[in-house]
Amino acid sequence: MNKTKIKWNVIAYFVMITFTLLTIAPIVWMILNSFKPHSDIVRNPLSPPTSLYLQNFVRSWVQGHLGVYFYNSIFYSMISTVLTVIIAMGSGYALSKFRYNFSKIIYMFYTLGLLITVHSVIVPLFIMETKLGIANTRLGVIIPYIAFGLPFQVFLATTYVKGIPDAMQESAIIDGANYLQVFFTIILPIATPIISTMFIYTFLGNWNEFILVQTLTSEIAIRSLPVGINSFAGGMSRDYGLQFSALVIGTVPMIIFYLIFRDKIAQGFAAGATKE
Amino acid sequence: MTFKQQKMASYWLLIAPGLILFAAVIVFPVFYSFSLSFTKWSGYGKSLFVGLENYRNIFSDPVFLHGLRNNMLIVAISVFGQIPLGFLLAYMLHRKMVRGGEFYQTMIFLPITISPVVVALLWNQIFSSSGIVTALIRNFSGNSQYVMKIFEDKSQAIIPILFVLLWMHTGTYMIIYLANLQKINPSVLEAAQIDGATEGQMFFRIILPSMVGTITTTAIFAIAGSLKAFDLIYAMTGGGPAHFTEVIAIYMYTNTFKYYKYGFGSAVSIIIVLLSVGLILILQSASKKIEKKYE
Amino acid sequence: MRTKRLLLTMFVSLLLFPSLLFSAGTKEPTHITTGDEIIELSVYHFLDQTDKTTAPNFAFLVEEFEKKNPNIKLKFEYGYGESFHDKLQTLAVSGQLPDIVLLYPGKRTSQVTDAGLVQDLRPWIKGHEKEFADMAMQGQGENGEIWELPEDISITAIMYTNNRLLKELGLTLPKTLDELLAQGPVIRENGLIPISMANKDAWPMQSCLAGVLVERTGGMEWFDKAIAGNGAGFDDPEFVAAMEIIKQLSDKHMFSPGTNQLAYGQGLDDFVNERAVYLIDGGWTVNNMIGELTDEQKTYMSLESFPDVPNQKGKSLSTSATAGQGFGMNAKLNKAQSEAAWKWIWFYSGPEGSAIRQKFGRLPAYNLAEPADADPMIKKLIAYAAKVPMGYVLDSVLGAEPIGAFNINLQRLMFGTMTPKQVAEDLEMMVDKIDRGNR
Repeated sequence: MNKTKIKWNVIAYFVMITFTLLTIAPIVWMILNSFKPHSDIVRNPLSPPTSLYLQNFVRSWVQGHLGVYFYNSIFYSMISTVLTVIIAMGSGYALSKFRYNFSKIIYMFYTLGLLITVHSVIVPLFIMETKLGIANTRLGVIIPYIAFGLPFQVFLATTYVKGIPDAMQESAIIDGANYLQVFFTIILPIATPIISTMFIYTFLGNWNEFILVQTLTSEIAIRSLPVGINSFAGGMSRDYGLQFSALVIGTVPMIIFYLIFRDKIAQGFAAGATKE
Repeated sequence: MTFKQQKMASYWLLIAPGLILFAAVIVFPVFYSFSLSFTKWSGYGKSLFVGLENYRNIFSDPVFLHGLRNNMLIVAISVFGQIPLGFLLAYMLHRKMVRGGEFYQTMIFLPITISPVVVALLWNQIFSSSGIVTALIRNFSGNSQYVMKIFEDKSQAIIPILFVLLWMHTGTYMIIYLANLQKINPSVLEAAQIDGATEGQMFFRIILPSMVGTITTTAIFAIAGSLKAFDLIYAMTGGGPAHFTEVIAIYMYTNTFKYYKYGFGSAVSIIIVLLSVGLILILQSASKKIEKKYE
Repeated sequence: MRTKRLLLTMFVSLLLFPSLLFSAGTKEPTHITTGDEIIELSVYHFLDQTDKTTAPNFAFLVEEFEKKNPNIKLKFEYGYGESFHDKLQTLAVSGQLPDIVLLYPGKRTSQVTDAGLVQDLRPWIKGHEKEFADMAMQGQGENGEIWELPEDISITAIMYTNNRLLKELGLTLPKTLDELLAQGPVIRENGLIPISMANKDAWPMQSCLAGVLVERTGGMEWFDKAIAGNGAGFDDPEFVAAMEIIKQLSDKHMFSPGTNQLAYGQGLDDFVNERAVYLIDGGWTVNNMIGELTDEQKTYMSLESFPDVPNQKGKSLSTSATAGQGFGMNAKLNKAQSEAAWKWIWFYSGPEGSAIRQKFGRLPAYNLAEPADADPMIKKLIAYAAKVPMGYVLDSVLGAEPIGAFNINLQRLMFGTMTPKQVAEDLEMMVDKIDRGNR
C-alpha cells in the first residue's frame, strides 16, 4: 500500500515537473533572446545574452508602432469582454430560468456557433461591414469579437445560472420584483465566480485575436498588438531581435494578468461545466 | 402589461442583444456560405451553380482525406489524451500527491495565455531540423550528421503538432476537473474509506461517476475545437511539408484565399460543421449510455 | 406556433440590425477634393517593419515625397506575408480596393488585375519606356496592359558562393552539374552543407531553382511554347529532365539536411555562419547580406550561376528573373486623383525613388548609373545582373493553383513519393485545365 503510494508520488512529481519545464523553458528562452542583437541570435540561438541589449525593445516599440497597438489591444479586450460577459449572463439567465420551449432552439444555435471557424465567415462579414460603413472602425472590431465570444460564454453562463436554486428567484418575484430586477440584484451577485472566469477567458481570447482585426481594419491607429507582432514575424527579411522583443511585449502582459487572476479562473468552473 | 407579457418582454430584452449580434456575424454568413457551397465562384462576376460537384471533388481529393485523417488524430489526442491527462493531473493535485500544487497548477495552465503564433514559433525552434532536439541528439550520440526528420514522414509528421496541442490544452481540462473534484462531498469519501474501500474502488465507484457529465461536456468542446484547429498548425507548418500536416481548416483556407475558389472553400467549411455535429451526437449518445449504467 | 414566432422575431431582428449599426457607425465620410485643395489617397503596401533597410528607406521615401507634394496626403496601410494577400483579396472582392495598391507582375495578384479593378498605366508611362529595363515594360495584361510600374528587377536564382571555404576544401567553382555533384561528398565530410536551401515554405525550390533548370534543359523557345500550350507542354522530356536534376541533387544530399522542414530564413543563417559553401536564393537576399555579412566576408562571397547541365539547350550562366512588384492605381479614381496617384507611382519607381532604393541594395527596374558609394554586395549584384541571360520564374508565368500544387509536388519529388515524370504530368494537367482553359 505504502509502496504504491510512493510510486504514485514519484509519477506525480515527474509529470508535474515535466510540464513545468516544457512551459518555462521556451518562455525563458524567448525573453533571453529578446535582449540579444540579431547577429548574436543568428550565431548563437541558445546562449544567454552577454549584455543587456535594450535596443530591440526601443526599436520594435517605435518602428512597429507597438505603443498604439498596445493601447488598442487593451481597449478592444476590455470593452468587448465587458459587453460579452454582460450579454452572455443575460442570455444565460433567460435561457435557463424562463422555461420557454424555444430557449432550447436558441441554445442549440449558440452551440453550433462553437463549430464555426473565423475564416468561413470573414469575407461575408467584411462585405457586410463595408456596406454598413463600420469596416475600419473600432465598432467594427468589437461587434465580431462579442459575437465570437458568445457561444462559449453563453454556455458557461447558462450552466452556472441553472445551478442557482429557483427558490431565490421565486420568492423575489412573489415580493413583486420584475425579472430584470431579479437579474441585476440576485443573479449577477451570486454569479460572481463564473463572471470572473468568463471575463478572464474572454479577455485572453480577445487579446490574442489576429485574423479579424487584421482583415476588418486598415489604419495603424485602430489596430492591435497581434497585427504588430505579425509584421515582425519572419519572412523574406528579418531581425530576430526585434521579433523576440515584439513577442515579449505581446506575451508578458498576459502572463502577468494571468498570474494575478489565476485563482479566479478555476472557481467559475466548479459550478459551471456540469450537468445539474 | 400582464405578468406574462412582462415576463416575455424581459426575456427578449435579455436575449435579443446577443442573439442579434450572433445572427448577424455568424449565422447569416454561414447560411450565405452554405448557398455558395453549391456554386463555382472566384469572388468576381457571376457564380455558377454546380450542385454537389464541390462536395464530390472534396471527398475524392487525397489531400483532403489526409487532412481529415489528421483532424481525427487531433480529435483523438484531445479526447483520449488531453482529457485523461488533464483528469490525472487534476486528481494528483486534488489528492495532494505533490507539494506546491498551486505552483504546478499555475504552470500547467500557463500555455493557454500565450498566443498560438508565439507558441508555434517557440516550438518550431525545438522540432525543426536545425532545432534544439537535433542539437541535443547530435551532442549525445556524437553523430554530427544527425537530423530530426519526423516532419518528412507522411504518417508521423503530425506527431509534434499533437504533442504541442497536448501541452497547450491539457491545462484547461485540468482546471475544469479540479474545480469539479473539489465539489465532491468529502464526507462521502470518508464514509467509503471507513467501510474499507480501496483508493481504486473510491476512484471508480464514487469519483469517476460523479464526473461523467463534466467529462462529456469537455469532450464536446474538445471535438469542436479539434475539427476547426487552424492557428497553431498554420503557424507551425502551414500544413506542410507536402501536405503531411494538412488539416481541414487549412485546406479550406488555401482553397479560398490562395486559389480563389469561394464555392469550394465554403463547401469545406460546411463539411467541418457537419462532421462536428455528427461526432458530438455520437458522443452524446455514448455518454447517455454510460450515465444510465451508473444510475 | 412558438417556433414560427421565434423565426419571425429572428428575421425581424436581422432586418433591424443594419439600421442599428448605421446609427452607431463612427466612420466619417471621406471628402473628395480637387484642384489646389489637398488630395487624400489610400495606399496599400507590402512592408516588413523589421527590415532594417527597407523599412527606414521606405519611410524616407515617403517623407521626401510629401515634402515635394504638400497637397497630396497619402494614407498608408501595411500588410505583410500571406496576410497581405488575404487582405488584398478581401478588399478587392468587397469592392473596397484602396486608391493605390501594390501589385505583382505575374499571377500573384491577377485576381485584382484580371477583374479590371486597376488602370492600365501605359498612357501615363508613354515616352519613358526606354528609361526602364526591357523586362519591366513587358505587358502584364492580356492585351499588353501594364497594371503596375515595376520597382525592381527581381532575380530569383543566384548561387551565392563562399570562395574562402571552396579554397580551403581545395575546390573550384563547378562548371558542370557533374562537377558540382562530385563536390558534395568532400564538402559533407568536412561537416558542411553543400547547398544551403530552406524549403519548408515550398516556394523556394520552385522560384530559386526550378525555373532556371527548366530554361537550361528546354531553352526559351520551348519555354514560351509550353506556357502557351502551343506545340509543347510541361510533360515534355525537357521539363522532366529539369525535375530529374532536382531529384538527383536531393538524393545525393546536396541540399541542407531536412531542407523541407527548414523555415526560409534558415538558408541564409547557415550561409552567413559559413556552415554552407553555396546558397541558392533570390537577389533580394542581398538586402539582408549587407547588414549580416562582415566586411571581411563580403570580400570572398560571390554571386554565381548554376553550372551547366547535361544536354543543355538553354544558355550557360542563365538565371531566372521577373519584373518586380510595383504600385498600380484604382480604376475608379477621377482625373485629379489619378494625377496625384501617378505622381506617387512615378516618384517611387521612377528616377528619384529608384536612386534611393538602389542605395539600400535593390536592383531598380529604372535604368540608373551604378552608384559610387554602394555596398560591395550591391555592386556585385548589379554586375551579376548585367552579365547573365534571364529566363522565366515559374510562379510569374503560371497561375496560383498550378504553382501551389507544383511547389508541393517538388517536396514530394524529394521525398520520393512522386517521380519526375509524375510531377511534370501533374503540372501539365493543372496548367491545361486552369490556366489555358481560362484564356
